[in-house]
Amino acid sequence: MKFSKKNIILFLSVLGPGIITANVDNDAGGITTYSVAGAQFGYSLLWTLIPITVALVVVQEMVARMGVVTGKSLADMIRENFGVKITFYLMISLLLADLGNTVAEFAGWASAMEIFGVSKYISVPIGAFLVWWLVVKGSYRVVEKIFLFSCTIFITYIISAFMAAPPWGQILKETVQPTFDFKPSYLEMIIGVVGTTIAPWMQFYLQSAVVEKNIKVDNYGACRVDVIFGCLMTDIVAFFIIVACGATLFVKGIKINDAADAAKALAPLAGNYASTLFAIGLANASLFAASILPLATAYYVCEGMGWESGVDHDFKSAPQFMWLYTGLIVVGALIIMIPNAPLIAIMLISQVVNGVMLPFVLVFMLLLINKKELMGDYTNSRMFNIIAWTTVIIMVVLTLMLVVQSIIT
Amino acid sequence: MTNNNIISEIFLSDIIGKTVIDARGDIIGVLRDLVMVPGEVFPEVSHILIKSGKKTSSVPWSGIALFNRAVISVAGLGTDLLPSVPQEGDILVKRDILDKQIVDVDGAKVVRVNDVKLGNFYNDRLCIFSVDIGLRGLLRRLGYEAIGENISRTLKKPIPNSEISWEYVQPLEPHTSRLALTMARDQMNEMHPADIADIIENIPIKHIRTVLDSIDTETTADTLYELESELRSEVIEQLGNEQASDVLEEMEHDEAADVLAGLSEEKAQELLEMMDQEDAEDIQELLEHEEDSAGGLMNPDYFRLTADITAGRALELLKESVEDVETFYYGYVVDEADHLEGIVSLKSLIINRPDTLISDIMNDNIKNVKTDTDPEDVVEVLTKYNLLAVPVLEHEKMAGIVTVDDILAFCLPYVKKRQKK
Repeated sequence: MKFSKKNIILFLSVLGPGIITANVDNDAGGITTYSVAGAQFGYSLLWTLIPITVALVVVQEMVARMGVVTGKSLADMIRENFGVKITFYLMISLLLADLGNTVAEFAGWASAMEIFGVSKYISVPIGAFLVWWLVVKGSYRVVEKIFLFSCTIFITYIISAFMAAPPWGQILKETVQPTFDFKPSYLEMIIGVVGTTIAPWMQFYLQSAVVEKNIKVDNYGACRVDVIFGCLMTDIVAFFIIVACGATLFVKGIKINDAADAAKALAPLAGNYASTLFAIGLANASLFAASILPLATAYYVCEGMGWESGVDHDFKSAPQFMWLYTGLIVVGALIIMIPNAPLIAIMLISQVVNGVMLPFVLVFMLLLINKKELMGDYTNSRMFNIIAWTTVIIMVVLTLMLVVQSIIT
Repeated sequence: MTNNNIISEIFLSDIIGKTVIDARGDIIGVLRDLVMVPGEVFPEVSHILIKSGKKTSSVPWSGIALFNRAVISVAGLGTDLLPSVPQEGDILVKRDILDKQIVDVDGAKVVRVNDVKLGNFYNDRLCIFSVDIGLRGLLRRLGYEAIGENISRTLKKPIPNSEISWEYVQPLEPHTSRLALTMARDQMNEMHPADIADIIENIPIKHIRTVLDSIDTETTADTLYELESELRSEVIEQLGNEQASDVLEEMEHDEAADVLAGLSEEKAQELLEMMDQEDAEDIQELLEHEEDSAGGLMNPDYFRLTADITAGRALELLKESVEDVETFYYGYVVDEADHLEGIVSLKSLIINRPDTLISDIMNDNIKNVKTDTDPEDVVEVLTKYNLLAVPVLEHEKMAGIVTVDDILAFCLPYVKKRQKK
């Protein structure tokens, strides 16, 4: 692609879906996982980010391509090609998984606000209402711009990492040189990092966002750049979180259990700023994901089942859509507010359902994208199929390990 | 086959996947799909497709012995089945209709086909009666209809039947997964453009093209003009330059200028270049005026007269120019240099004898505005002198007219928007 003015304008006009999806990916669960990975294993997990990025690009590129070529969402395509039964049970499972994910987002928001001394009984209802109101009462375009702008706050992670002054030479070496450890905790961590980076709902969200943008097949090149750029952004943020925690917590042998702990632990080492920045980043990531995740879920469930959907509607014209969206937020927020709620168990179950669903979604995607009657000349090439199926098989193996492990522990 | 072998109504979900037997009672496969051909009122099933292993065979409707919820059997032997040869343009009920989307024109929304109702209409032909788009069809497909029935009885809220008769369903392309409309094409053309615009505003952007493709260019032009400017730009983007420029040519010049003014300069220029040169020049001229001035609102086509002709000739001219001119309440009398000499109302053309000279009946006390006059001041002139249209002058020359409805749309966008809701 040439670097001309016209191409830049073209790129800016299709920019968005890939970058937004990628940044929602770095949600509360993601930040927690990366922080623990850095604190517990230092830089020794950094190498996994390279294959993870490749897998993420392969998977996201396929859904973006399907969205551009067919003009249909992934849920539409699954319903039209695999029938109502498969769609229904897939949607029910994804709905449950996403409810769990929404709970995790509100948990992230609550812990970030607790760093600022705000009780979860105050922060969670406010956060839930804000998220709901932003989407239901605001215009979708404004909402998208707010989200896109708030992505820039992820720079705080990079600042955090630099303020910790880590040994960059060693970090570079660990990033490109795979090392492997067969300790169960190490395997568990790898699975966690992979699982949190490639989630089923993201594929639905990205494809719908691409369709919504109404990108033409001729402009697909620019759209692909957007998707790849987004994937790189996800993993660069992940990289800096791991580095920041590795440089500070790992070397001192401090153990953490969630991202709020990580923020507290960074405070004495990199000054008050590190803690504040980390908390702002976590708060933003959680709220951002807490608004996109229920919205995306409501969209794809309604698309699959053939119900009216869209943020421009109200409870009367699109009841299923509005109730799903509102219900996910309200129930998600309420679960957090139950005193002594089994949050860990809920997040674990949602993680497992996520993991179990992912291979199904990936296989559906691969079957769809190779259908000539749907994709025309844009089916996968032979080489791409080999890479994609390898990714699927690795994901399936990893997920099976995650599920087995979750059941044992 | 005889009438009593086929029940009057049957749902596709009840029969797809059922085992099919032959005359000896041997299982020959499962019912995979139905091939549909146009019928007299409803489409008819011409063949059924039977799948056994990897092989799909096709049996004409005349070769079916029994076809109901309990048994599907063919008249011949399983070994005599002919393999199916897929034809381009075949419509398969399950593949092309079930689970696909249709635009519900009445409700202005996109719905999904949950089930298809078939039945015996006449002559023992199996016809497609209706598509089920509601909850009942969904429950039936999932196998939960009985459970749903129990729940609804307990709640005393019946499950609504949401079926659309096939008479109202028009697939837009024969072999396609694109959506169909719940109204015939010619009916769409008879709808008011403002109503079509309502439908378009309510359905996802990716489906708009499908709706526009089903109406003629003139209706498309009127519909496009009714849309909110933001959505209009997106729709034009979707249409592609060639179709968009055709549509613009169909519009009144002032409307086309309004539409173009809402697009990016580059895009507007591209479209103008593709249009008929004469149209393009007129529109270009209008575009040069500020949007919120008399020049931006005016229509350059007006009922043009000269002082030396008769009222009878003027009425003939009126009939000749009916294609180009939108408003005929007044004739504008101009000299060779386009200077406005007088105005003659349609009423006086009709009530005066046909041989009366225009110069004798025209009113030379002319109320006018300039191209840079504010819309508010245009309104004032129109209301003060009770006019239906006012001439717009540029450098003392006649440039066009602003009518009451041009200015109304400009002054009351808020009211207009509210009425649409």
